[in-house]
Amino acid sequence: MFTTPRLIVIALGAALNFSIGTIVYLVKLPIYLDSIGTILTALLLAPNRKAAFFCAWAAGWMSLAVSGLVNPFLPWFAATDVAIALVTALVTLRAADIFRARPLRAVPFAASVLVCGAVTGVVAAIVSAPVVVYLFGGVTGSGSAFIVAFFLKTGQQLMSAALLSGLTADPIDKILQVLFAALLYRATPGDLLVMLRKA
Amino acid sequence: MTPNGAIAVAVMMIALLLSGPGPGGVAILLVLGLAFAVIEVRSASLIALRRAATVVLPLAAFMVLVWVGIVGRAPSEIAADMPGTRAAALLHVALICGRLFFIVAVIQLVVLRFAHLTPLQFIRALSLPAGAKRLLVLTLSLIETLRHAIDRAHVALIAAGTLTRRFSLRNVIHSWRLVQAVWLSAVTIALGRMRDKWPVENTLDLLDRALENSNRRLFAGNDRIWLPITMGAAAVILLADLFPGAS
Repeated sequence: MFTTPRLIVIALGAALNFSIGTIVYLVKLPIYLDSIGTILTALLLAPNRKAAFFCAWAAGWMSLAVSGLVNPFLPWFAATDVAIALVTALVTLRAADIFRARPLRAVPFAASVLVCGAVTGVVAAIVSAPVVVYLFGGVTGSGSAFIVAFFLKTGQQLMSAALLSGLTADPIDKILQVLFAALLYRATPGDLLVMLRKA
Repeated sequence: MTPNGAIAVAVMMIALLLSGPGPGGVAILLVLGLAFAVIEVRSASLIALRRAATVVLPLAAFMVLVWVGIVGRAPSEIAADMPGTRAAALLHVALICGRLFFIVAVIQLVVLRFAHLTPLQFIRALSLPAGAKRLLVLTLSLIETLRHAIDRAHVALIAAGTLTRRFSLRNVIHSWRLVQAVWLSAVTIALGRMRDKWPVENTLDLLDRALENSNRRLFAGNDRIWLPITMGAAAVILLADLFPGAS
């Protein structure tokens, strides 16, 4: 399962999550972009769903362990990373061939990105909402806190405000993440894919 | 004290804090954290407090903006459908940020307790499976590789006139090229290492040997003092929560 090339890709995915996620957190954008490495790790291991899930999970948790020193909120979303790895392995991997097709087939590519991103976003929002409410009182350090504030102002309870905020921001965020991961997957040299697929 | 012991103590303290103890429980945790800082970390504790403040203060300002400035009510008041006050919202932010400050301070105390160790020595001393240790080292190494790749690609794209040094619309439009260049650079480096460099230099075997911990005991030294004390504190806090009238 965890061959040396796969360990390298897990580490690369974790490093990518850490680098992009940290920049986005520091500039307070209302999106996260901290799971591109997790999604990309799974895509690189397509069509092996089991390997894709476990390697993406490992990449997600490894980046949480490292990022925790910069952003103390992130490690509490460990369950969200497992959910993202699972959805990517079960849903997004079906579109791996479309993402890598040459020449690019624009309509299936865009449709796959939208569907996979939206599904990942909805699942991530549902898994994250209880953490946001019970551990952080509704507001984490990310820019999505403004959306929680908006829903609270409209009279929503804390749990539903956090869930609605997640359902508003997460699908957009995850569509962007799936798009970036798909584009990086397209750009990845075939040599690496061959090494990864050797179990 | 071993890194395993320090991490176990820190995890227990953080878990106890998140269990929502009463004022007595919070006081016990503060005394325990203070004792750990004074005995194990000594003067470097001030650095831990400063780092925790550096992380939490901007966050506190952000939360004050959101809760006090925009929402203007505490969650309990929203739940009870009361008009609410900004003072209650401020108290809510203070409680959340106080909790977060404690968590970050405890993590920093553990980091500073082993500040004399290099990351490789720290990972070596941990009781983790060999694969997990290898993965941690590779991740830290690749984060450095990515940082260098970002610097190189950034300079190259500025020289090519694709990006600019300052914030500009061109940067927003073409920043994707930077991400792609960084990824390709990192993948090429990783491929080169895996295919040619590491097999020739026998790097992974040497790394596994370097990470092998000769001390097979999970806990040693002061761990045997701190772990029972922390577990005792946990028992007192949890019992006080279960039987609030007993005290």
